[in-house]
Amino acid sequence: MPRSPERILDLDRVVAETLDNGLRVRVLEERSAPTVSCYTFYQVGSRNERPGLTGISHLFEHMMFNGAAKYGPKEFDRVLESQGGHSNAYTSNDVTAYYEEFAAEALPTVLDLESDRMRSLAIAPDTLEQERAVVKEERRLRSENSVFGIMEEQLGGLVFQAHPYRWPIIGWMDDIERISREDCLAWFRVYYAPGNAALYVVGDVDARETLEQVRRAYGDIPAGPPVPPVPAAEPPQRGERRAVVHYPAQAPALLAGWRAPAARDPDAYVLDVVQAALSMGESSRLRRRLVEEMELAVSLHVGYAWRRDPGVFMVFAELAPGVGPERAERALLREIERVAVAGISAAELRRAQRLLRSAVLHELATHGGVAHALGEAEALAGDFHQAGEALERYARVAPRDVRRAAGAWLDAARRSVVVLEPEAPRERR
Amino acid sequence: MSRPLPFPELVEERLPNGAVAVAARRPGVPLAAVRLLVAAGAGLDPRGAFGLGNLAALAAHRGTRRRSGRKVDDAVESLGAELASGCDEDASWFGLSAPAEHLPRLLDLVVEVATEPSFPAAEVARLRRRELAGLTHLLDDPGAVADRAILSAVLGDHPYGHPPDGRAAHLRRLSRGAVAGFHRRWYAPAATSLVVVGDVSPDEVLRLARRRLGRWRPRAEAAPELPAPAAAARSVLVVDKPDLTQTQIRIGCSALPRRTPAYFAAVVANAAFGGGFTSRLVDAIRVNRGLSYGVHSRFEMSRAGGTFSISSFTKNESAAELVEVALAEARRFADGGPTDEELSRARAWLAGMFPLSLETHGQVADKIADLRLYGTDVSEITGYRERVAAVTAEECREVARRHFPLDGGAIVAVGPARSVARALERFGPVTVAAPEAMI
Repeated sequence: MPRSPERILDLDRVVAETLDNGLRVRVLEERSAPTVSCYTFYQVGSRNERPGLTGISHLFEHMMFNGAAKYGPKEFDRVLESQGGHSNAYTSNDVTAYYEEFAAEALPTVLDLESDRMRSLAIAPDTLEQERAVVKEERRLRSENSVFGIMEEQLGGLVFQAHPYRWPIIGWMDDIERISREDCLAWFRVYYAPGNAALYVVGDVDARETLEQVRRAYGDIPAGPPVPPVPAAEPPQRGERRAVVHYPAQAPALLAGWRAPAARDPDAYVLDVVQAALSMGESSRLRRRLVEEMELAVSLHVGYAWRRDPGVFMVFAELAPGVGPERAERALLREIERVAVAGISAAELRRAQRLLRSAVLHELATHGGVAHALGEAEALAGDFHQAGEALERYARVAPRDVRRAAGAWLDAARRSVVVLEPEAPRERR
Repeated sequence: MSRPLPFPELVEERLPNGAVAVAARRPGVPLAAVRLLVAAGAGLDPRGAFGLGNLAALAAHRGTRRRSGRKVDDAVESLGAELASGCDEDASWFGLSAPAEHLPRLLDLVVEVATEPSFPAAEVARLRRRELAGLTHLLDDPGAVADRAILSAVLGDHPYGHPPDGRAAHLRRLSRGAVAGFHRRWYAPAATSLVVVGDVSPDEVLRLARRRLGRWRPRAEAAPELPAPAAAARSVLVVDKPDLTQTQIRIGCSALPRRTPAYFAAVVANAAFGGGFTSRLVDAIRVNRGLSYGVHSRFEMSRAGGTFSISSFTKNESAAELVEVALAEARRFADGGPTDEELSRARAWLAGMFPLSLETHGQVADKIADLRLYGTDVSEITGYRERVAAVTAEECREVARRHFPLDGGAIVAVGPARSVARALERFGPVTVAAPEAMI
């Protein structure tokens, strides 16, 4: 029986405008809590980098907290925290996003802080050296001393041969050491102009008044130069690719990846459903089969993050100690192939759709979740309205869509596999 | 100060068997958060059976008198929910976030697994193997190894001195009978709270609670009160991981229980010292010296006692420098307390952040569960901002003087012993241990 689509997020209420300098502004009044969430999305990430300069988007994200013309070094967070707010940021392959969450009264201060650094960021040599040291520690933490981090870097190089997605977001250590102040200044000039940014304000605000405050705070920032196009070519894959990692881990691990649809591709929703059917919940296909029944894996995760260009659908399994990686890999890939050939049952589809619905409702339960969803939809799929469509789009996926999309994307000839084989640790003291 | 905190009205009822049901209506997102909490946790694990309470909580939803674990999973997940369970030092808990329209059925299932588990022997054995394998993998996570090491280093033989997921050697010996015995002995109605928050009718929730939970009448006993942990002398433990390029550091000591008159002073002192992004520790270690990507401090407060700890990581060569700076900052804070500017920033930051911890049904349900578990008053939530604003610099200094690791306390470093052990000798007698000893 056809049902009317569920509307949790009423995006007709979003007040949207583009300033003369190109800055896109979207404001949504939500009075359920006396807080506001503000996100600024810059359309720049590791995708915009080149060999020799990998990691600059992320290092630059750190520099954005180190002072501008009006608010000097250390002041950004101090001023914000003293007004009851906090901030952070992340860099992805495609975007660099900055956010603040704060008590409603602090909105003018937040706009002043954000516009100050967009207008006049200072890149002092000594703070660059300090942040470089901090980022090297971050790389040691996430990439060098983490089993998943080591394997993920290998997978990127297998799935992509030409596309900038082939290097890690945090960049190679040599490049982090090499990035100069001049590189950072150029990065700021090109990618941090208002025309390459969008601002999302969600929460206990008056939308019209907020828009006026944004115009006052950002209106005088000059529009920037055009952003250079990204060489996004990637040759077709015509056979499985493999890598072996030797590392002193306790047990083997497997990471398999397939090139997967871009955010704008309607198949992105279908692959989300496949991801949920395979790994969300104890009764999901892969967890039930590999963790519960066969006891080959201790943990199992399927990751599929939407990206501007075709990204990666990945499956990560930490194996039970004593299990041979070949046996686990055969079992894992057999399950994927079954889905690619035969799809999933109607009950599995309904279960996946309901779990995804709960996940979407969770995301939209907070001001920050809504602001982020708007920004991500616009940055990756080209339209913030798409954030309001997820419930309906998941509900519309039919069994034949799963079979077709899984068959097309999770093809054996297009997969890449990284195997971690444990080696003995160096001798202890 | 901004608008009053939007905290929902609590509708509470003690059921005939002694269990308490609490319901709160929050309109908005059509979900409901369910928490079932039993005030019996890892602090009750017998000696030699560390991990028992946690295994009982995990195994409870692997089968009941009415259905298998697989049927439980199918029933819960086909309604769009995922059931989680676990154990901390004071409580065992079951929780899920339910689409509001399926609440009656999901509430039934949560109560069923918590009160009528059958502990099938094959499932208990499988979970035990999985937990053991999980502990083995944990050895590859240096931060997790450090967290386990500091807990034991600070609390030693106290019942809180082991991680709730236990010790590998103990887990191997845990029988199905021991698991069922933990449940039979400690899962008492009088120790149980059921909390439901969301787009629901409180009357309907209480009616469901009476019918499903109110008739549960097992013969369990009340958990004993545990003693407060003792303070420990200075010790330095190096957990030797020869291949790491970065050392994980923890510095800790025993500190405060959750119910203490110093609660808000501790919250503010920690925010100024190592809680927020502009705290003393972040400034000294990350911003001024570039020693680490992250550093923070925290009070962990439980029923019988708690800990204070500083956590960070740095390249192996600067491990000793990081410890030196952290200890010097702790001493400086204990001597002088926060400046007026630091105090007012910490208070404003905490007051501003607090509403963000009450945004979702799940967050509100967790806060209510904590009220039930620790016997604290709801005014600690509704009056949070005023209570934080009243904390003085002298109170912060006093908290630091009494509860920061100044002369005693433990230091843990997880990294290559050949690179870090000697440099750490200046802080106290160094012991080197293998990572396997931490699980």
